[in-house]
Amino acid sequence: MNRDRLLLCLYLAGILAATLVHDPVWLGAGLALVLLLAGGDALRLLRRALLAILAFNAIISLSYALMAWWQDISPWLTLVRLNLRVLLLTSLTFLFIARANLFRALDFSKGLTYVLGLAYSQALTFRRAHEDFRLALASRSLRRPSLMDRYRASAAAASWYLEKSLHAANQSAQALRSRGFFHD
Amino acid sequence: MTERRYRAVKNSLIPTPPFLKGGRGGISTPSATPAEQNPPSPPLRKGGAPVIQAAGITHRYGAKEVLADIGFSIHPGEKVVLLGCNGSGKSTLLKILDGLIAPTAGQFTYDGESITPARLKHPALHHRFRREVALLFQNPDAMLFNPTVYDEIAFGPRQMGLTDLDQRVRHWAAQVGVTAHLERPPFSLSGGEKQKVCLAALLALEPKVLLLDEPTAALDPRSTGWLVDFLSGLGVTTLITTHNLSLAPELGSRALVLGEDHRLIHDGDIHGLLGNMELLAAANLVHTHSHRHGGVEHRHSHVHDWQ
Ligand SMILES: Nc1ncnc2c1ncn2[C@@H]1O[C@H](COP(=O)(O)OP(=O)(O)OP(=O)(O)O)[C@@H](O)[C@H]1O
Ligand SMILES: [Mg+2]
Repeated sequence: MNRDRLLLCLYLAGILAATLVHDPVWLGAGLALVLLLAGGDALRLLRRALLAILAFNAIISLSYALMAWWQDISPWLTLVRLNLRVLLLTSLTFLFIARANLFRALDFSKGLTYVLGLAYSQALTFRRAHEDFRLALASRSLRRPSLMDRYRASAAAASWYLEKSLHAANQSAQALRSRGFFHD
Repeated sequence: MTERRYRAVKNSLIPTPPFLKGGRGGISTPSATPAEQNPPSPPLRKGGAPVIQAAGITHRYGAKEVLADIGFSIHPGEKVVLLGCNGSGKSTLLKILDGLIAPTAGQFTYDGESITPARLKHPALHHRFRREVALLFQNPDAMLFNPTVYDEIAFGPRQMGLTDLDQRVRHWAAQVGVTAHLERPPFSLSGGEKQKVCLAALLALEPKVLLLDEPTAALDPRSTGWLVDFLSGLGVTTLITTHNLSLAPELGSRALVLGEDHRLIHDGDIHGLLGNMELLAAANLVHTHSHRHGGVEHRHSHVHDWQ
């Protein structure tokens, strides 16, 4: 077993553990372990993970808090558990992606490597496109773009992605079929 | 055709913007620019100081060099074509010249002012530069985010607090021929229509310099002919990228050519360039393949028209 595949197994075990454990103390310990493993990158990792889950977690937490208030139960334990778990899963994933070479971890299967290649090239294309949307807004703005304009630009980018990725998924399926992927 | 367009522009409801008055362009060459500030430049083609002056521009994405030591200057009213094969760095150079990304090394000035993303944080310089220099992105989708075509064209002028906003929007929509689509959401348009909307959106600011990244890529032959006429009727300074050699002389009189090694391998008259097969082959702008005419096979370099 190569190093990357070992990391993949550890990562999958970590994900499983993080979903089975309910005690916030253990979740917190897991997060501490991930940060410890990240070493010098710990702060950057934590910051990236926090930013990535901010919008999603804020909405979920807020609506849960409202519901709890309505039903007159204490929301704290659930909120802490939920947020810690998502943060743990996200940091673990970021750490894994940074440390392991996914291509080598999956090289036991030709099919998986191929699918990963497709996903990777899509991600790269989208990252470039997202950059272009951001630059185009900057290029057309005489002042600092308003929040509304930035919101509109990212909504346009998102719907453009959606349309593109639907199209890309369609194309990929056709490419896979033409290469006999569904038969071996 | 060109003449008619031009007159149509001149007779429009809107007072003729300064940059449409004659071929010199609307850049009022500031005599305030001290000559010592400008490095020695090639003989002036048009009067006055250069509007864009680039020196030693080098850019890397990570470890990959995509522009190497690029230097040139462009004078007010000049129509310059930037040629280069796929991946030679054309789009990157335009983004640098629009102050969107900072080159790894080198610098450029606009109208004597050094431009970098950091310097553009000054509101006054930012406002002036964004108002006077417009970039048409290679992917028009990146520029379209407003709910309707009307709002898209109005986006720029609205930021200037103009009183003739509606007139201006309708004028430029008519100029590029998208009046019928004003109420439609931009994403529902075809590729060519999107490109025209983007062009109208940029022109509505009445810029002095137009940087156009493959503006003809999504256009059918008729629209391409229209764009060529339209651009030659505008007195603005233009820098247009293309890898379509047969179209290049229609888009400008001077050519900059980026080689496969990402260096500037030609800067000069476009007609001189078109006869220079060796240079064109070095830039990967022509290709060689075999032809068979009546049983005789021969090889020669070849320009493919309309891409
Ligand atoms: N954001 C980016 N990050 C990393 N590499 C990039 C990025 N944008 C472009 N590149 C790479 O830089 C090189 C030059 O790209 P650029 O888009 O400037 O070329 P181009 O001359 O415009 O090509 P084309 O004719 O295909 O439009 C290419 O190899 C491209 O893959
Ligand atoms: Mg390009």
